[in-house]
Amino acid sequence: MARRVRRPEGGQQDTAKYVYCVIRSTGGKESFGEIGYDGKEVYTLDYRDFSPVVTDSPYKEYGMDESEVEVHRNVIQCVMKDHDVLPVAYGMAFKSKKLLTVAMSVGYEAMKKALRAVEGKHELGIKVFLPKGVLTDHQEEIAKVYREGFQEIASEHKDLSLFSERLLLNTAFLVERGRIDEFSARVGELSAKHGDLKVQYSGPWPPYNFVDIHILGKKRKGFR
Amino acid sequence: MLIIDDVILRMLGISLPVLDLLWTLEQIQNYAYRETYNPEKIRNRIKENRLLFEFEELSREEYERANIDLMHLLKMAERVGDMNLGMRTDLLGSI
Repeated sequence: MARRVRRPEGGQQDTAKYVYCVIRSTGGKESFGEIGYDGKEVYTLDYRDFSPVVTDSPYKEYGMDESEVEVHRNVIQCVMKDHDVLPVAYGMAFKSKKLLTVAMSVGYEAMKKALRAVEGKHELGIKVFLPKGVLTDHQEEIAKVYREGFQEIASEHKDLSLFSERLLLNTAFLVERGRIDEFSARVGELSAKHGDLKVQYSGPWPPYNFVDIHILGKKRKGFR
Repeated sequence: MLIIDDVILRMLGISLPVLDLLWTLEQIQNYAYRETYNPEKIRNRIKENRLLFEFEELSREEYERANIDLMHLLKMAERVGDMNLGMRTDLLGSI
């Protein structure tokens, strides 16, 4: 979703802090290189034992532009190589560092709890899709076999919307880092067993579907 | 202020064929709008289109063409959503 950020009166162009994710404090500024919007530096700020990962960005409206969403996603992917992350919804920019601090303060307890739940884990996605022109009465059963096969390994799972009639399963699994290979092997086994079905296995992702913190607003997810 | 419309007339047991026909046409039109401009359904089609491309059932050109059309339709749907489709035409005025 887009977030409209207004320019301050007087024509002076201020810079916003665009937030990609939040990590545990690194004990000082850490730079992830110039991989942010407009090739700007992505770096950490500090708030108590958390560090929001930000870019200084001019005020603008973040629309559903695929390339901009991709930048957001890439930065988080880069950060999560070395840190557990709380991903922040795309398009979240704050007028100033002070406002970002206020948001961090409001969401502090929720973030602490969320980070504890996802620490050391990654999200993996599974979509099971029927081949073209094939319909079956056993959709529920097939989905159950897959779901249960993965549930044994995953810490948590979340069923996502079945946005197509051909989609039998669309589920995100939260898996401990050390069990990802086991999970991948299970994907291979189940795919081989149901060779006629199309399976999309994706990840590791930040725990997008397992972090749901609402701050300073009710409708949108993430920070404001 | 009391507004007399076909709903109130129907509640009073008064049926005017012209108003009934208009009401029916209005319902059909609203239903058609809701079906065509349902943002949730369009978002689902956008996701399905992407998935079909990822499963190589669509070429990149087919995917991109369909995506542009669907994004346009989604914008239209969001605009339609901002309009109040439930607003009724007050043919008899108010008393």
